[in-house]
Amino acid sequence: MRQDRNRDLGPFVPREGDERIICRCEEVTQGEIRRAVHDGMYTMAEIRRYLRCGMGLCQGQTCSRLVAGIVARELGIKPAELAPASSRSPMRPIEMKVWADEETDDSKVRRA
Amino acid sequence: MKRYDLIIIGAGPSGLSAAIEAAKRGMKVIVFDENARPGGQLFKQIHKFFGSKEHKAKIRGFVIGRQLLGEAEKAGVEVRLSATVIGLYPDKEVVVREILEPEEGTAGETSAKEAVFHYKGDAIIVATGASENMVTFDGWTLPGVMGAGAAQTLMNLHGVRPGRKVLMLGSGNVGLVVSFQLLQAGCEVVALVDAAPRIGGYGVHAAKVARTGVPFYLSHTIKKAEGTDHVTGVTIAQVDSRFQFIEGTEKHFDVDTICVAVGLSPMSQLLKMAGCEMDNSGKGGGQIPVVDESGATSVPGIYAVGDVAGIEEASSAMIEGRMAGIRVAEYLGFDDKAGADTAFDQNEKALEGLRQGMFAPGNRGKKIEKTEEGIPVSENLLTHGFVADDEIERYPGVTHKAGVHPVMECTQNIPCNPCQDACPKHCISIGSNITSLPVVLKDSACIDCGMCVSSCPGQAIFLVNEDAGPGKATVTLPYEFLPLPEEGDEGYGLGRDGSRVCDAKVVRVRSSGAFDHTALVTIEVPAEYAMKARFFVKA
Repeated sequence: MRQDRNRDLGPFVPREGDERIICRCEEVTQGEIRRAVHDGMYTMAEIRRYLRCGMGLCQGQTCSRLVAGIVARELGIKPAELAPASSRSPMRPIEMKVWADEETDDSKVRRA
Repeated sequence: MKRYDLIIIGAGPSGLSAAIEAAKRGMKVIVFDENARPGGQLFKQIHKFFGSKEHKAKIRGFVIGRQLLGEAEKAGVEVRLSATVIGLYPDKEVVVREILEPEEGTAGETSAKEAVFHYKGDAIIVATGASENMVTFDGWTLPGVMGAGAAQTLMNLHGVRPGRKVLMLGSGNVGLVVSFQLLQAGCEVVALVDAAPRIGGYGVHAAKVARTGVPFYLSHTIKKAEGTDHVTGVTIAQVDSRFQFIEGTEKHFDVDTICVAVGLSPMSQLLKMAGCEMDNSGKGGGQIPVVDESGATSVPGIYAVGDVAGIEEASSAMIEGRMAGIRVAEYLGFDDKAGADTAFDQNEKALEGLRQGMFAPGNRGKKIEKTEEGIPVSENLLTHGFVADDEIERYPGVTHKAGVHPVMECTQNIPCNPCQDACPKHCISIGSNITSLPVVLKDSACIDCGMCVSSCPGQAIFLVNEDAGPGKATVTLPYEFLPLPEEGDEGYGLGRDGSRVCDAKVVRVRSSGAFDHTALVTIEVPAEYAMKARFFVKA
């Protein structure tokens, strides 16, 4: 869903709750997310790259819904109208040394 | 790269069920789960499930989990635990992070070595489930604020009490069931709060919490959690029809724990990554894949079942899993169409049976005024968690007669009927429509065996003797708290609202194996409280 980028959102007005942390993993506040929309970040992908919210330990499992709600309200649209961010591997946080360590010998896996 | 006929991601109720059906048909199946234990959320469900015999009704969730695991093992399903799937590709390749067996000579090594493995399946079933939603309020990041499911994991899997005094936000079935389990774990639940004007979960789940004395605050939500390094209190306030706080309605509670049960979101990212067509309308609780009745996504050979394909509950997840397992076996030629159709139709019927009644998916958000029988629903049950004394007599399970007889305070049409089969004297009838309210048959002879009381997953059946000696009545109630009261204990009878209504004395305590940990406590109360006293506390 494409957002009209020429739309006038009006000035950024601080609001109660702006200090509140929304993305716990990356410690991003409601105010930062709202301001990012006024800075021109209209999609979840842009917000994610701009602020890193949803890119921490939980990979947005807790906050992406909350972030989408804030962004949608700022844009005056429904959260469902906001395109979700893309999903790609690794789906869970993983150390680089593990990710890069591809095993071919399956017999080494510890059996449950 | 290792190949399997079928790779299943998630060893919860739907994933295991799918694995069983596929393996039974001769497929080589592997199930990956990122957790150290299988069963998904089943092993923390210590309550008895609703439904019919086919849905494993009146069996506790963790027992169903054990049965599923046993069945999977017998069918030859390989279950790989602590195995996190980090990628799923359209050509049905799965990338998994797994723990390696420590090599010889590295016995002193403490941290387990991990590595990434690749697998390829001819078919994939994604059964990754859902995660808990959160709401934000001032102080929501303080230690002590947690998901209700997290509290349940602490209590029921790890034996850790999450706190002493708890406020629960959310009156859906998760909020109601976990509140009861918190009480069972010895916590004090100071309030059950929901921003909605009506209770979202089953009335019977609410009623068993309310009768212990937990107050319900509907049209209320949390304003702030208090404390500096952990929760020490909470302030709630009333909200108007647009969910805005109403000034001056604040209420404070001293608590150390706040549980949040405000719904679940499907963990569907793997499906999106694999290129499956997604539905972002929010109707399934979040982003869900577009699937047909067998769980098939838009990518041939990739299926999705259980909560990841739309939030429901464990019983329907298990059936959906079986349906997908059957179709996958047919898709890859392990079963012929006729055989698959028969098995599939059977499960589809069972699933339809579960999706009936007031809480059916199609009724979500609707206000229902009357039961299927045309009886007005209890407004008090929806707003305060209990059926008022002047409402209870209008339901068909609530009758009067001489001697001991069942009183069934079942007032909403839900797909559940174990009580009908529980009575050896056939006193109770629901009929062929599984959502009908239970009826006590007129000419039946109750023998006070208590099987109906213990069979009711909603703990809504009582055995009442309205004339148990001069001026006395007895009430037998289901009791799932420890320590059990003892014969001769004196105390109080609590009303449906949890208030002390009369003096009460325990005259009998039964806890046979057939009751499956639902003890039957019989209290003697003044005759006029026979239809009012519904719980007991020791003086």
